[in-house]
Order: sequence, then C-alpha cells, then structure tokens
Amino acid sequence: MSVKSDRKLMKQLQRGNNQSLVAYLFLLPWLIGLVLFTVGPFLVTFYLSFNIVDEGGLGYVLTNVGFENYVKALLENIAFRENLISFVLVEITYVPAIVIFSFILAILLNRKIKFRSGFRTIFFLPVIVLSSTVMEQLMSAGGTRLSDFRDNIIFKTTMQYSIQFSRALLSLFDNFTMVLWFTGIPIILFINGLQKINSQLYEAAKIDGATTWQTLWKITVPIIKPTALIVAIFTIVQIGMYNINPLYYQIRDSIYNPAGGLGIASAFSWIYTIVVLIFVAAALLLLNSRDKSKEIKLTSIQRRAFEQLKARRDATLEEVTDVE
Amino acid sequence: MNKLKEIFGQIVKFFKFAYRKRRRIERVLGQLVIYALLITISYVFLFPLIKMVSLAFMAQGDLIDPEIDYLPKNPTLANFKAALIVLEGFKSFWGSFWVSSVYAIAQTVVSAITGFAFARYRFRGKNFLFLLIIVSFVLPVPVMLIPRMMMFQTVQSWGVQNISMEFRLFGTIIPQFLMSILGQGVNSAILILIFYNFFKMIPNVLYEAARIDGASPLAQFWHITIKISVSTIIVVFLFSFVWNWNETYVTGVFNGSFQSLPSKLAAFETDFRSAAPDGASTGGVNRVNEAYRMAATLISMIPLFIIYFAAQKQFIEGIESTGITGE
Repeated sequence: MSVKSDRKLMKQLQRGNNQSLVAYLFLLPWLIGLVLFTVGPFLVTFYLSFNIVDEGGLGYVLTNVGFENYVKALLENIAFRENLISFVLVEITYVPAIVIFSFILAILLNRKIKFRSGFRTIFFLPVIVLSSTVMEQLMSAGGTRLSDFRDNIIFKTTMQYSIQFSRALLSLFDNFTMVLWFTGIPIILFINGLQKINSQLYEAAKIDGATTWQTLWKITVPIIKPTALIVAIFTIVQIGMYNINPLYYQIRDSIYNPAGGLGIASAFSWIYTIVVLIFVAAALLLLNSRDKSKEIKLTSIQRRAFEQLKARRDATLEEVTDVE
Repeated sequence: MNKLKEIFGQIVKFFKFAYRKRRRIERVLGQLVIYALLITISYVFLFPLIKMVSLAFMAQGDLIDPEIDYLPKNPTLANFKAALIVLEGFKSFWGSFWVSSVYAIAQTVVSAITGFAFARYRFRGKNFLFLLIIVSFVLPVPVMLIPRMMMFQTVQSWGVQNISMEFRLFGTIIPQFLMSILGQGVNSAILILIFYNFFKMIPNVLYEAARIDGASPLAQFWHITIKISVSTIIVVFLFSFVWNWNETYVTGVFNGSFQSLPSKLAAFETDFRSAAPDGASTGGVNRVNEAYRMAATLISMIPLFIIYFAAQKQFIEGIESTGITGE
C-alpha cells in the first residue's frame, strides 16, 4: 500500500516539476525579452546616468562622473526643468479629471438607455484612431478648443495666485476634448466594474430609503475603488505617451544631442521614470483599499442591506420548510 | 379677485397633479437630463473630428470667409488630391500596413504563448512574474530606449566589421520585430492580459482529457486553446495592429527613415512646402495649409476608421475581458 501511495506521490511530484518546466518553456520568449529589452535596459540606464558615454570603435566608453548628469539635468538644463514641471502639472490636472469624468460617464452609460452601444462606440473611438501625430494636427488646427476661458473671472483669480497652475488649468480647459479622449478605456473598465456590483445591494438600500446620492457614495464608490486605482495607473502611464507631455520627446531628442550625450539622456529618463513611479505610488496610497477589504468593514448602509438580505433569505427558508 | 382665485386654483391643481405623478415626471426628466448630457459630451468628443472633416472640404475662399463655420459653401476635393500626393498616400499606406501587420502577428503569437503559460500552469515564481507584466506596462518607454539603442548599435557595428559592410539593423524592421516577438512591443502587457483572462475561462477538464489521451503540451495548446479562441486572437491582433500603426516614438529611433502614414503626416508641413514652393509664398500660409493638413489627417485616419467600425464590438469586449478590474 505504501509503495503504491509513494509511487502516486512521485508521479504527482514529477508532474508538478514537469508543469513548471513546460510553463517556463512557454514563457521563454517573453522572459528573454523581459530581461533583454525591459528589466536589463532599465538597470543599465540607471548605471549610464552616472557616466559620460562616448562612442568607441566597437561599443561604448564610459567615464564615471558621479551625480554630475543629474545636477546638469535639474539645475542647468532650463528646458528640461520646465518640461518636467509642465509634465507634473499635466498629470496632476488631467488624471483626476479623467478618472472622475470616466466614472460619471460609466454611470450614465450603465443605465438602461437607448443608443447605449452607439454612445459607447463614440467614446471608445479615440482609443483606436488617435495617435500623437493626429492629435498634434488636430490641436494645431484649433480643433480641441471649444471656447475661450481666458476672460473667465475664476481663471483670472487663480492667475493671480499661481501662474504655473493657472497655465495647467488653461491647458486642461483648452484641450478639454483631450481629457475626454483619454476616457475611452477607463469608461469600459468602470462599466465592467459597475456591472459586477450585486444589484440586490441597491434594492435593499432603496427599501431602507437611501437616496440615489447616498447609495452612490456609500455603495458604489467604495466597491468601485479598486477599479479606480487601475484606471488611475493606466491613465498616468497613457498620458505620458502623448504629445501633451513635452518631456517624452525631449528625452528622445536628447539621445541625438552631441552636447549632452547618452549619459545626460539617461539621467533625464531616470528622473522622468521616478516621477511617473511617484505618481503611481500616490495613486496606490490614495485608492488602495485592499487591506481594509480583508476585514470587511461595511458602511452603515451596506451593513443594513446585508442584514436585510439575510433576513429575507431566512424568511424564504422558513417558507420552504413550512411547505415541506 | 375671482379670476385671481381661479388662476391660483389652477396652479394648485397643476402642482397636485404633478405631485401625484411625481415619480413618473422625475423619471422622464432624469432620462432627458441623461440624454442631454450624453449628447453634449458626444459632441465634445467628436468636435475635433467634425472640425477636421469640415475643414478638409473647404476651398481657399471658404477658409477665410468668417460666415462659414462648418458647412463649406464650395466643397472641394482638391485638398485630398494635394494631400494624397504630399503624403505619397498609397506607398506610405502600404508600408504602414505591412509593417504593422508583421509586428502585430509577432505580438499576437508571443502574447498567446505567454498568456497560455500563465493561465494554464502553476509554477514557481508565477506571482512574481505576473507582477513583472504590470511593471513592464508601468515603466515608461524612454527609460529602456537608450540601452536598447546601444545594444543594436553595438551588434550592427560588429556585423559591419565581421559579416558584411551592408549589415544594417537600424533602418530595418528587425529591432522592433525582435522586441515584438519577445513580448516587449507596444502595450504588450495589455495583450498578454487579454489572452490570460480568456484562456483562464477554458475548463481544465478539456486539458486533462487531452493529456490522458497523450497530447503533448504543445498539442494541447494548439488543438484546444488556439482553436477555441479564434475571436480573441482576432481582437488582440487588431489592437496590436492599430497600436503599431499609431506608434511613432520607438520607430523614430530604430527605423527613422521608414515612411509610415503617421510619420508622413507629422512631416506634412515641410513636405508640403518642398512639394509646392509657390503654394507657401502666395500668402495666408497657415490658413491655407489648414485645409490641406486636415485633409491629410483625415486620409491617415481612414484605415483606422474602417477597422474600428468593422470591429468596434470586438474592441470594446476585448478591453472588458482584460478583467484587470476584478483581480
């Protein structure tokens, strides 16, 4: 008996090992790519950023210069600093706007209305047809500006406090269409999240006399938070890749700039990456609710709704037993 | 006095009526507000495109005419003709088309294999590698660009010395093809996630049955997974195709001389000036160019419009099935 079970165990073990092996064989191309083109270069860029890189006959010659590239990038290169600031401001203004707008649009589209798929088609269109170049052309033709906000009184007051911030606000309103264009995928993600919410929760809350506003804040928002986190991270990454982010193209062009060379370009891209990662971390801090969801803390409305559900279930169970 | 009372009575009556029917009125009003909102927002969404189309058809006179907002008085196709010539429309369309197709096929194949490994097998370090998929999505492209470029540069100069003077990597599709086939192309992470979530839904029983019948993992992958997921494969291919079509950033480094439709569009103004030198000198440069530019933009978008309207449902469902919302 023991021999038999031993053999079984052996077989299972073998199969387990085998599985790992097969899995890694399937993963092989992607793993090679990951090391060769993503993780490797990421670390190499870090190393390069502390060096001056010169082209040798075959390969490159590196000279260590410590933090000089970073000092140059942050203190001496005015264009880089300005672009960095404008990138930060674009992220700060666009990301919340995009998350909130796509959430609102998702709620509107999640209702039973006519032409729903028609609206969805319109809102998803930019994901497919818009590239940086197309965007640039449309912006330069004034296609993204609906109306002028420069004379607005509120705008003029913010102008007095911070010119930088008001400039960012202006670009937000000037290119308001652009904000909407980035909502294509977020809307779909939000709708997907909304449809996973148990509709009985809403019914129970309604019976308890909760208003729509209350159910929105006490039921929908807490449940949708993980989706919002994904949308926020996705948006942070996506926004960086279009021409509203001048930094993106400055880094690429700096590769070919003989004055700075690859070392400075590496420092640029590392600073840029760190800023992106800080934004991702901020999104994680603001929107992460994983720890809380482990101990299931319910808002008062949710708790009452659950109690009602339980009561209703008990009642039906009693009925069933009565019938029997 | 009596009349006033009567009117007052009427008003009270109306409010009583409204109060009785308040639920219904609320619902209708709510619907109206939602439609109004959605239509307004749709308008804002489409505004640049509407403007693009209307500008593209305008003759010179219409552009300057302040009375004309959207509908051109003398619609003309001359802009398109000029734009097609400057864009070298058919040549660059064909170039974009086949290059995007090659990258997209490479990306689809590798994403399918990777997604399959993650969905089907349990193995050591799975969670960590899964996290790396997300990380590879979050890390911005510029931070990887420089070593990638240096790598290909080194290989190229080695090749020139040891293989042939004609050995070239830059200016060919090889670098980006390698990145695509090794799963590091445009938005590869999203493509892998789409496959992963679809493959996860395939019941394990199927694989067990095939395994007992002696099918190798590769045979299982081909005969079960691939044959079930033809629709998903098409979705991933289309996404990849479109994203590669729109990609100009990485292409600019590795294949700068490649004339894709978007890159021709980016260089439209300079190309236009050199193609029609007296066109620029006749005055009103920017304004005149606008119609041409929008015609060119429209032309460059037409292939994507066609793909989108042929497969819009699949695109949306593709993003829905990434499932990154749940897990």
